[in-house]
Amino acid sequence: MRRRVALLVSGALVLGPQVALACPMCFDPRAENRIAFAATAAVMTLLPLGMVGGLLLWLRRRARALNGEAANRNPDSPPPP
Amino acid sequence: MDRALHLVRPGEPPPNKHLLPSSVLGMLLFIFTEVMLFAGFISAHTIARAGAQAWPPAGQPRLPFRETLINSAALLASGAILLVAHLAFRKRPADARGPAALALFFGLAFVIAQGREWVALIGEGLTLTSSTYGGFFYLIVGAHALHALGAILALAWALARLWRDRLSWAQFSTVAAFWYFVVLVWPVIYLKVYL
Repeated sequence: MRRRVALLVSGALVLGPQVALACPMCFDPRAENRIAFAATAAVMTLLPLGMVGGLLLWLRRRARALNGEAANRNPDSPPPP
Repeated sequence: MDRALHLVRPGEPPPNKHLLPSSVLGMLLFIFTEVMLFAGFISAHTIARAGAQAWPPAGQPRLPFRETLINSAALLASGAILLVAHLAFRKRPADARGPAALALFFGLAFVIAQGREWVALIGEGLTLTSSTYGGFFYLIVGAHALHALGAILALAWALARLWRDRLSWAQFSTVAAFWYFVVLVWPVIYLKVYL
């Protein structure tokens, strides 16, 4: 009996749901809307990564340049890592 | 002193104090959050525009993109002149006074011209509640105007200190970074909202 109920419930859960087609990025009938959603999602995802990544890269390059200058001024000091 | 406060272990080189002034780093992080704020506004505007039947909606005036192009030129010129002042400051701070004052003047001209444009648009029926179009316009351009006003106040403060030879490189760079943000975000707003 338990087995039948479990099969019935799992079958209902697997077969019952319908595709809602509610995602505006995937199913909007207007191409303009789909493009707008995809483009803004990409911008909002990549922009913070680009800004923080760009700052870190710039700081790393600047630190290396300053360390190089310091090493040139003082040749006895160990080379920068 | 607490051991946890020792960020440099024995044998390691001390932190490089010339890498970036703390005030400039703080301003850059603040600018990052502001960039995301404007990106959110522009994203919402892009989606609303894509879903609209007509843009601008019927009965709403077209934004004055030609007149605003002249205002935009004044703002961009202001940014370029401040860059000249920034570079001059490194060699001799007194040489930065003239260009910094000119940058402030162009910035003020931009804000005043935008204010006049707003008065004209309100007269034509475009208000914050007249349509989504008007709502987005005043939200995005208004947020930019508030930032421009804040940056102008900061620039005026920096200029007053510069005139008394009491402005440091870090202070000038911090204020200038905010002004560069105000200048550089404007072309994006112009292209997305006005055109």
